[in-house]
Amino acid sequence: MTHSSELLKGTLQTIVLKVLKDHGKTYGYEITQRVKELSDGSIVLTEGALYPTLHKLEAEGLLKTERVLIGKRVRKYYVLTPLGKSEARERVIEFVDFIKTMSTVLQVQMS
Amino acid sequence: MLTNEHIDYIIKDLNYRGIVADDIQDELIDHVCSSVEEQMNGGEKFIDAYSKILKSFGHTNGLREIQKKSIQVENQKTKNMIKNYLTIAWRNFRKQSFYSFINVAGLAVGIAACLVIVLFIIDELSYDSYNTKANRIYRVNEEIKFGGNHIKLCVSGAPTANALQQDYPEIEAAVRFRGYGSYLVKPANGTQNIKEQNVIWTDSTFFKIFSVKVLEGNPITALKEPASIAISKRMAQKYFPGKSALGESLILDNKYNAKITAVYEDIPRASHFHFDILIAQVGDWPAAKEAQSQTFLSENFNTYLLLKEGANARALEKKFPGFLKKYFGPQIASALGSEFTMEKFLATGNKWELTLTALKDIHLHSDLTGEFEPNGNITYVYLFGIIAAFILAIACINFMNLSTARSSNRAKEVGVRKVMGSLRSHLVRQFLTESVLVTLLSFIIAIGLAYLLLPYFNDLALKQLELPLTSPVFYLTLIGSLLLIGLMAGVYPSFFLSAFKPVNVLKGHVALGMKSGFIRSALVVFQFVISIFLIIGAITVNRQLNFIQNKKLGFEKNQVIIIHDAYALRPFPNVQAFKTEVLKVPGVANGTISGFLPVNSDRNNNTYWKEGNQPTPNNLVSLQSWSVDTDYIETMGMKIKIGRGFSKEFISDSSAVILNEAAIPMFSLGENPIGQKISTFNGNRPDGSPDPKQLKSWTIIGVIENFHFSTMKEGITPLGLLLNKSDGNVSFKFNSANTNEVIQSIEKVWKQLAPGQPFQYSFLDEDFGRMYTTEQRLAKIFFTFAGLAIIIACLGLFALTAFTAEQRTKEIGIRKVLGASVGGIVVLLSKEFGKLILISFALAAPLAWYAVNWWLKSYTYKVEIGIPVYLLAGIGAFIVAWLTMSYQSMKAALSNPVNSLRSE
Repeated sequence: MTHSSELLKGTLQTIVLKVLKDHGKTYGYEITQRVKELSDGSIVLTEGALYPTLHKLEAEGLLKTERVLIGKRVRKYYVLTPLGKSEARERVIEFVDFIKTMSTVLQVQMS
Repeated sequence: MLTNEHIDYIIKDLNYRGIVADDIQDELIDHVCSSVEEQMNGGEKFIDAYSKILKSFGHTNGLREIQKKSIQVENQKTKNMIKNYLTIAWRNFRKQSFYSFINVAGLAVGIAACLVIVLFIIDELSYDSYNTKANRIYRVNEEIKFGGNHIKLCVSGAPTANALQQDYPEIEAAVRFRGYGSYLVKPANGTQNIKEQNVIWTDSTFFKIFSVKVLEGNPITALKEPASIAISKRMAQKYFPGKSALGESLILDNKYNAKITAVYEDIPRASHFHFDILIAQVGDWPAAKEAQSQTFLSENFNTYLLLKEGANARALEKKFPGFLKKYFGPQIASALGSEFTMEKFLATGNKWELTLTALKDIHLHSDLTGEFEPNGNITYVYLFGIIAAFILAIACINFMNLSTARSSNRAKEVGVRKVMGSLRSHLVRQFLTESVLVTLLSFIIAIGLAYLLLPYFNDLALKQLELPLTSPVFYLTLIGSLLLIGLMAGVYPSFFLSAFKPVNVLKGHVALGMKSGFIRSALVVFQFVISIFLIIGAITVNRQLNFIQNKKLGFEKNQVIIIHDAYALRPFPNVQAFKTEVLKVPGVANGTISGFLPVNSDRNNNTYWKEGNQPTPNNLVSLQSWSVDTDYIETMGMKIKIGRGFSKEFISDSSAVILNEAAIPMFSLGENPIGQKISTFNGNRPDGSPDPKQLKSWTIIGVIENFHFSTMKEGITPLGLLLNKSDGNVSFKFNSANTNEVIQSIEKVWKQLAPGQPFQYSFLDEDFGRMYTTEQRLAKIFFTFAGLAIIIACLGLFALTAFTAEQRTKEIGIRKVLGASVGGIVVLLSKEFGKLILISFALAAPLAWYAVNWWLKSYTYKVEIGIPVYLLAGIGAFIVAWLTMSYQSMKAALSNPVNSLRSE
């Protein structure tokens, strides 16, 4: 089953940062594929959400870009900046905390 | 696999769907291609795969949404905003390269001029501030007024310093200086004398009061012993190159053997004195003995006081009347007779005052008798400050005028921007960015210009100014003034432009450009008022200087050569032999031995009265008494009015005097002064005060026509010539065309009679000119900057007419078609600005009249500045402005109307 986009909204940046941290240089389409793979198809990033997020992170200085010419088209790769790396780590820790809090709030046992 | 045709198709299709922003376009193409490829790998056909992917993007709307969001993210960066401002500014700058050039050039020249002037002012204001105790150092001045005499001195009597220190505990230390002019100097084992100008006798407290660093020797003990001297590093290197000068000896004027007890750092340039050799004022050399004299009435010592921390100089000054009464009163009374008291003297409107001048005020505020060097003048500092402000104002006005005038070209831009949602503040920011950018460019060029021009200015102003390129304060100030000028010049145009109403502008309703002309006209008038004012000022200064140079002086200044330091020939008869020998040189007509000349030279001032009278403050005359020889009057070309000159035939001439015309009424000598006598004190009592029993009388044998012997700022004061030995200079009148030959012949005679002594000469007319160097420098600087101001103003006018002509191209075309002549059109275009220049002239003339009178007031002898000068300045400005305009007007008038009317 796929998760609702409402739930994804707040975690999109964290996902993108983490993917970039684990896989290094990645381009937009590849990110969607990765996420799909990792979540067994249950999380599908829409392009409409992905690209604005990428650009926002770039504007904040967490990402930088490289352009590579592939045949007739240009591919834009994204890489974490040093600032982005530490930010990725923090976001993941923050999110784990959030889940713990949520589990107590919702009174459910995490497996 | 995806073929190239597929990719082209995708690119075209996305483009068609409105994905055009460079960045996002590439990215989406790549993304779409990648996913289509994967679908095709799964066995789908291209067209099916593509439509599937498009669907996942949300078709055209989804795609556009992504693009919009990305652009929004981009636009939120302030960097982009600024980049946008800069791009637009640069485009405008390039599009309007002619106006931009005028703006930048005018502003750069203005700023460069300003920069140079500011450096000059800072330098003038920094005089003597190298002294760490400068705030506590004061110089003692004396002002005396009695009868028709008014004397302002910066020197006082020898004991004044000591007595002040004794009576007033707030004085921490005092130092005196006594100058005797130049000295001939050689090392103890040397043979060649060199003339040194900056030699002074002084007290050992010098180093305690002034912050002159002692490099060798002990500043506390230096100058304490008789016959000891301190010399500057410059002197040490000159006379003792490569070794330590400490403990060595110098011989001064062939007779004083002095030991060097200290070597000090050269006195900074920004100082009101530059002594190279300090001689101790103790011991029994004549000058040292004079320093120990007890008379307060022989004012020869520049006296400086160092006050204690917290002491108040003005409060101290208030105590001086008591001091004068206590010390001066008795000495004057004993000279003039017992009925003299200070109270009575002062009660009859006379004046005898001691005042203090703060050290830092000396350079700019003091011009008294007895200054070490010619000082600066605060008036010039103000004057140049005003000129700098004027030039800058003119340059800024150009900028403002051009920007607002060209507003019509940008009105549509403003309208469109406003319609698209620009706020007024955005537009203001945009225009301010533009003006700051132009200013920045101008500043960079200005610094380059100033750097190139400073050497010339230094020559002109006799300064050694430098751009302080290493000082952070300099850059901070520059950046500060850059922003200030940029904002000032930009504020009016930016508010003016941003206030346009889009509806009116886009409909073409706004009365563009010329209509809002009032402020612009006012600014043009302001520019030309300043220009005309400066022209009149420059002409006046020039006329006055010419007037002085060519005025009948009462003596012949041309073709007189002066041989300096003739005392090097001593003993005395040698100078006679020298004169006799030189007179044999062909072309030399006459010669005279005298240290006193009608240019800057020796001076001797004493009080005289008509013989037979009891000397009282009311009948004393302060008289210049010059020691001359029998040939003096003839050599100098002076005219005898009554009586005769000195003659060898009359032995009694040794006690004769020749007065100038100005002296006659002062002594109340009546119609025929010949044969009458004047008296003076001829000796001092042991306490140093003049002895009323030792008098000497002089018989008047002649009266000479008044001649100028100091600057024209002062009137001619009483003067008497006495037949006496004075071997400071020997002057010769020659009438040979070959000046060099005469100099060489005289030098040959000198070398024979004074081997090892420096041969120094000058010409009387040059020395005379030198008395006015300050004024001449002032005039040149004034001319330069006035010229600059006018050039910048005309530059603005040039651009402004170009603009008007451009605006009225169609009007001109129609007029020509209807039969207007070229001349008529030129007049039409020039008329508007011509009117403005007339108004400027009407405003500038009274201002200039006032300023000219104010400046001339300081001269006793002044040139008449008549109406022609004003007219000349007005017409000059008009012609220059008209020539500037006529180029543009002619261009517009001569153009073929077809070209201007064809296109719409």
